[in-house]
Amino acid sequence: MKIKAYIESGVLETFVLGSASDQEVQELLYMKAKHPEVNEALQQLEQDMEKLAGNIAMTPPPHLWNRIEEEINALIPRPEVTPARYTERNYESDTRTNGKDDQYIEVEGSSTHIRVHKSWRWVLAAIFVLGKIFLAFAIYFYLENRQAQEQLKELKTELKQHVK
Amino acid sequence: MLLGYIFEVVKNRTVAEQYLTAVFKEVPSQIDEFLKKDVSPFCLLQIMTRRQLTDFFRSQDTNYDQQPKSDKVSTVENKFIRQMSPEQQLVFSGAYWQGKTITRLATELNKPEEAIRKILKDCFTIIRSIN
Repeated sequence: MKIKAYIESGVLETFVLGSASDQEVQELLYMKAKHPEVNEALQQLEQDMEKLAGNIAMTPPPHLWNRIEEEINALIPRPEVTPARYTERNYESDTRTNGKDDQYIEVEGSSTHIRVHKSWRWVLAAIFVLGKIFLAFAIYFYLENRQAQEQLKELKTELKQHVK
Repeated sequence: MLLGYIFEVVKNRTVAEQYLTAVFKEVPSQIDEFLKKDVSPFCLLQIMTRRQLTDFFRSQDTNYDQQPKSDKVSTVENKFIRQMSPEQQLVFSGAYWQGKTITRLATELNKPEEAIRKILKDCFTIIRSIN
């Protein structure tokens, strides 16, 4: 009987119209959870509200949903981008102002060593061996040349003696 | 449906579209409410709409208060409202389209709050009786 009086009081109508006070809202949510009759009456009123709104319905323009979608998408949080630290650059000498070269990032390495591809090992070994061979040839021809010079000097001395 | 309701409140299609956009922008933050059982999504949207319209309702209060009582009867034309008496129209329009509280309506009509709630209940009885 008390529930029926509550439903008949008009509080539910006040609630669905959004005119209820905070105290009334709290009381109604409690009654709704406790008494299925209140919940049922409330659902009926919500249907009435939809019926009323359906009578004054307007067709939204076709672009409106796209605009709403864009605005909602703009609200989606994106990962924060940390800005690159500013470093002063010589813009006069820097010719890489546009095009593909813009993709390069200037990086100054802190290591004192360099790393090369393994295939360079054989090239460097070949250069080392060829260097030794050229050095041996150079020493050989130097000694040959010195010996030839000495022989030539001896021959000249002999010739001078024969002439005398 | 929601656009129609907002249009009846603000009487301007562009402004109504702006309010509708603002309401839907609020939906992601209220998504938990929509996922609750036994909740009408439309009624929830309408409550959010009324929250968005609060400032508009306040701005209209000044102009409205200066009107003679006879002009305050609903200007919304539909089959449900036409079946209501002038007093019922005044109470229903005040609560539904002008965002007035029961206390405010009771003061304006110089009636107890219980009487205003009873009038609202009668309005819904009329709405339910019409197909």
